[in-house]
Amino acid sequence: MTNHWIDIRNSDCILIMGSNAAENHPISMKWVGNAKNKGATIINVDPRFTRTSSKADIYTAERSGTDIAFLGGMMNYILSKDKYHKEYAANYTNVSFILGPKYDFKDGLFSGYDPKKKKYDKSFWAFEKDANGVPKRDLTLKDPRCVFQLMKKFYSRYTTKTVSAITGTPEADLKKIYETYAATGAVDKTGTIMYAMGWTQHTVGVQNIRMMAMIQLMLGNMGRPGGGVNALRGESNVQGSTDHCLLFHIWPGYLGTPKASLVTLADYNAKNTPKTNDPLSANWWQNKPKYMASFLKAMFGEAATKENDFGYSWMPKIDDGVTYSWLDIFDEMYKGNFKGFFAWGQNPACSGANSNKTRQALAKLDWMVNVNIFDNETASFWKGPGMNPDEIKTEVFFLPCHTSVEKEGSITNSGRWMQWRYAAAKPPRGPKGDGDIMVELFEKVRELYEADGKFTEPIKNFRWDYVKDGKYDPHAIAKLINGYFEQDTTVKGKSFKKGTLVPSFAFLLDDGSTSSGNWLYCQSYTEKGNMAARREKKDPTGMGLYPEWSWCWPVNRRIIYNRASVDLNGKPWSPNKNILEYKDGKWVGDVPDGGWPPMSDKEKTKRPFIMKPDGVGSVFGPGRVDGPFPEHYEPLECPVPKNLMSSQRMNPVAPVYGTAADEHYSCDPRFPFVGTTYRVTEHWQTGILTRWQPWLLETQPQLFVEMSNELAKLKGIKNGDMCKVSSARGKVEAVAMVTGRFRPFTIQGLTVHQVGLPWCFGWVYPKDGGDSANLLTPSTGDPNTRIPETKAFMVNVEKLGKRRA
Amino acid sequence: MAGKFFLIDTTRCTACRGCQIACKQWNELPADKTKQYGSYQNPLDLNGNTYRLVRFAEYPSKKNSMAWYFFSDACRHCLAPPCKKKADQILKDAIVVNDYGAVIYTEKTKDLEKASKVIKQACPWSVPNWSKDQKQMVKCTMCNERVDAGLLPACVKACPTGALNFGEEADIKKLTKERLAEAKKKFGDKAHIEDEKDVRALFLIVDDFIKYKPMEL
Amino acid sequence: MALTRREFLKWSGTAGAAAAAMCLGFDLRPVKLYAADLKILKAKETTTICPYCAVGCGIIVHTKKSGKLLNTEGDPDHPINEGALCAKGAGLYQMTVNKNRKRFPLYRAPESDEWEEIEWEDAIQKIAEKIKETRDATFTEKNAKGEVVNRTTGIAHVGSAALDNEECWLLQGIMRALGLVYIEHQARI
Repeated sequence: MTNHWIDIRNSDCILIMGSNAAENHPISMKWVGNAKNKGATIINVDPRFTRTSSKADIYTAERSGTDIAFLGGMMNYILSKDKYHKEYAANYTNVSFILGPKYDFKDGLFSGYDPKKKKYDKSFWAFEKDANGVPKRDLTLKDPRCVFQLMKKFYSRYTTKTVSAITGTPEADLKKIYETYAATGAVDKTGTIMYAMGWTQHTVGVQNIRMMAMIQLMLGNMGRPGGGVNALRGESNVQGSTDHCLLFHIWPGYLGTPKASLVTLADYNAKNTPKTNDPLSANWWQNKPKYMASFLKAMFGEAATKENDFGYSWMPKIDDGVTYSWLDIFDEMYKGNFKGFFAWGQNPACSGANSNKTRQALAKLDWMVNVNIFDNETASFWKGPGMNPDEIKTEVFFLPCHTSVEKEGSITNSGRWMQWRYAAAKPPRGPKGDGDIMVELFEKVRELYEADGKFTEPIKNFRWDYVKDGKYDPHAIAKLINGYFEQDTTVKGKSFKKGTLVPSFAFLLDDGSTSSGNWLYCQSYTEKGNMAARREKKDPTGMGLYPEWSWCWPVNRRIIYNRASVDLNGKPWSPNKNILEYKDGKWVGDVPDGGWPPMSDKEKTKRPFIMKPDGVGSVFGPGRVDGPFPEHYEPLECPVPKNLMSSQRMNPVAPVYGTAADEHYSCDPRFPFVGTTYRVTEHWQTGILTRWQPWLLETQPQLFVEMSNELAKLKGIKNGDMCKVSSARGKVEAVAMVTGRFRPFTIQGLTVHQVGLPWCFGWVYPKDGGDSANLLTPSTGDPNTRIPETKAFMVNVEKLGKRRA
Repeated sequence: MAGKFFLIDTTRCTACRGCQIACKQWNELPADKTKQYGSYQNPLDLNGNTYRLVRFAEYPSKKNSMAWYFFSDACRHCLAPPCKKKADQILKDAIVVNDYGAVIYTEKTKDLEKASKVIKQACPWSVPNWSKDQKQMVKCTMCNERVDAGLLPACVKACPTGALNFGEEADIKKLTKERLAEAKKKFGDKAHIEDEKDVRALFLIVDDFIKYKPMEL
Repeated sequence: MALTRREFLKWSGTAGAAAAAMCLGFDLRPVKLYAADLKILKAKETTTICPYCAVGCGIIVHTKKSGKLLNTEGDPDHPINEGALCAKGAGLYQMTVNKNRKRFPLYRAPESDEWEEIEWEDAIQKIAEKIKETRDATFTEKNAKGEVVNRTTGIAHVGSAALDNEECWLLQGIMRALGLVYIEHQARI
């Protein structure tokens, strides 16, 4: 989230779209309700009427996979009716930038597309630069080649008539929602978006979110209380695990994983450190070399020196142009290309798209280690439905671990708040803490490598001074993540002794004198103490920031990009939206997003979007692999023969996997209905933890499929009947929940039915609960993130005889 | 009169079922084996193991296409409880009312197994149940041991949206007046408090009661 | 019985002097045969954060001195949830006190149709041996282009968004020190 949970109460209009917040982030409704009681309007858009919809002031339905069309229409409304915040957009975004002559868009394709490689050459989307290498701008926004004019033209194609024919949403509803939300373009109003997997799990996932970010920039909502772009993350510490980069493409603190072509650290820094010639751009990522060096010092400690490039070559590199993501892992595994696999605190046999492919892939491994609290479909895959144990050679180790109340450490919520929690209950004899398992395992591996083995340097040199007597110590690791001065150092005129904790990332250096496991978390554990453990309830601004409750990144800034919440003189755009103000030569309120004076001080100021090389918000986004403006494409499997917007039916650069387990069909009479997957409050993800809890299982005991009265009538299905739901990849048995909360859509004049299933069940337990809805979903995904398209695919639904649950 | 009151403002409920589970957790009640019969509501009814149940009922609506009513159902803690009246005819003070109005089924109800059906029928909402595990009659206790210690009932504490409220009579009645006015503005004149004069658990609903607890599930 | 100031204030709330006195050991109320004892009366209180969604609600865990889990409920001081919890958070007790929790490491041999219990030491030893064996068999110093990559593509890892920050950092460090590049988790799905 750019903002945070409590800040939602400061909003005048809350759009809940691509999220079912009441069911999946239930306590967030405390703050949604708080805003509503103060007069805010709650808008909810969802293919199905959910528990969230029941509390919305305005609800409407859209077909799964059509969010860009919906929001494109909103942008069209905002631009054509002049609802945007002109001063904000002109000064704080790139709408004034002029595009170079190579940029173009025609019939669903941007310029620079290579149909053979299915890839774009992004250099075609570059801005015109002046003699100093700074993007040219037209602050009047009139130049026909400026972003604003090109965008206006682009979204003029998204008329309410066209949008309605794509989404199935009535034009009257579209108009009402556009008008209501666009009203937050007024200075004294802010609107926010709460979104989640409903937007990310598509082949156009990233562009869904970009579309909303662009709307928020145009309306002047970014960086302001009750505004921002609020991603509702899915897991208790998925924010932390993402920050610490258990992902192939980034190292802790979002440092891009070095590609093999970058031989030295200097090569890496040269290629990956953004540059700007604009003296008003802070370009904060110019500090990347400091963060890289500090990370490597955290990885290899004293062994990392300038001479050995801080151990840069000891770290594994990825090949240029190759991805190693989740979908790639199971594709390679299916082809038999892995020997060993760790599924640590995860249940891929149910959570990944295309469960049949995943489960068959697991059977090709030599060995697998599963660390978890309960038995699950991944650990026990070899005795699952359709599996013949006699033919499966995989050795499997199941390691039981502690629950969250049995160990100490921190987790980071969606609002970036790092919160410390303590061991409360004595664990039963047997299971171990995950941290202890990691320490024991690595010490054993290192012991084995003392004798011999391939390339032992990184194993021998992996920093281990935070482990004493073989014990895992969360405080010691938290301190390393914050970082130390590794030698006596003087920086910014202050002197620090070796072994002192670094006070913030502003003090990190690139010469090996500092370490920091994750520069973003630098300031979380300092000489002042464990900032994440704070429990002070002071709220000096009265806007719900609670600056001394826990600690948030970066540097405890509660609302990021907050210098966009003030005008060029440093005064809040509106006095009722004050979380930051420049008074008597200093910033008062939230931690300012850079301490430079307001933009009226043309000498000393910096533009507010400090993480971007140009210092402004990207309305035009030249960095995405599938285009600088979001464009509607249909999902991989879709119910209509053509895309109304262009002849590009689906995202032209989306990855599509091609094994025998990856069949997919569109407009196939065998799979005539749109299918989607979602969650329920009472279960958690694959249900691996919650299905075993009787109180929760009692409330949601078995897999169900929600369908409209009309579809039920068509297929002779009654509420409570047992049904088979099938796709090109698999099938599940589910109890029919016939409901008016799904209605048929009219798409391009055709009746299109949609159904949905929760994916919280699995064959391990309970025996009559049903299996994973991911048996139906396709392994294709977003080309930027490779998040699978589990929200829109095609299925069939049939009654299973006279059986009931 | 005085004593404690609940206000259950169904217009704020999101059916997160925090109340249903918090009650189970606090009272250490077991779960039953249930089936999916085509609804989010489970178990089907209040029973020996479930003292608070969120009921789900949906209807087409002109506004927003559907209305989905959530009703956090439990004992009303009546001012003149009919269950007590019936039980006293058989075994006096097996059911008692404490000094702030909590209607409590004491251990003495272990001798009322045979009468449990008629006692259940005496209740307009069929709240009382016989518990096979505890071998006595059971229902919501108003978490009286928590209230005695100055804590909120478990269900009320769990509620994130202000649907469940609890406190002294004067405070709850004031809150009820405010919320009812808001509800009438938003939902129309059908908004009302059920059995306002007879119960300590004031339910604010916006439609006929039968719509919240339909006979056919 | 020593009470923290917070406990005292909490318990002396609306119930007033009677409850407060009760906490201090004096029972001023008339004897109530039917009033249940407050099971968390003398419990230790520890703060934690809910392990489910990313709202990050505060939870108070009540335990006996022995560490036995008694009760879990919302932390009224936490500014985000203010004591409230949804169904999952409210039932947190049952994730920990659950007869279906696996207690000991299990091993499934090739072509076997059942689990066998093994000792922790055994499991760690065997897994470490497998890691070394596979890493050594699949380690690549240079890729097809002759670029130094120092990695193994024979082992993949997924997990976990359910781990603490400190565990996540350690795990990414270990996996990268071992040379893995196929490292993923819930954030990718």
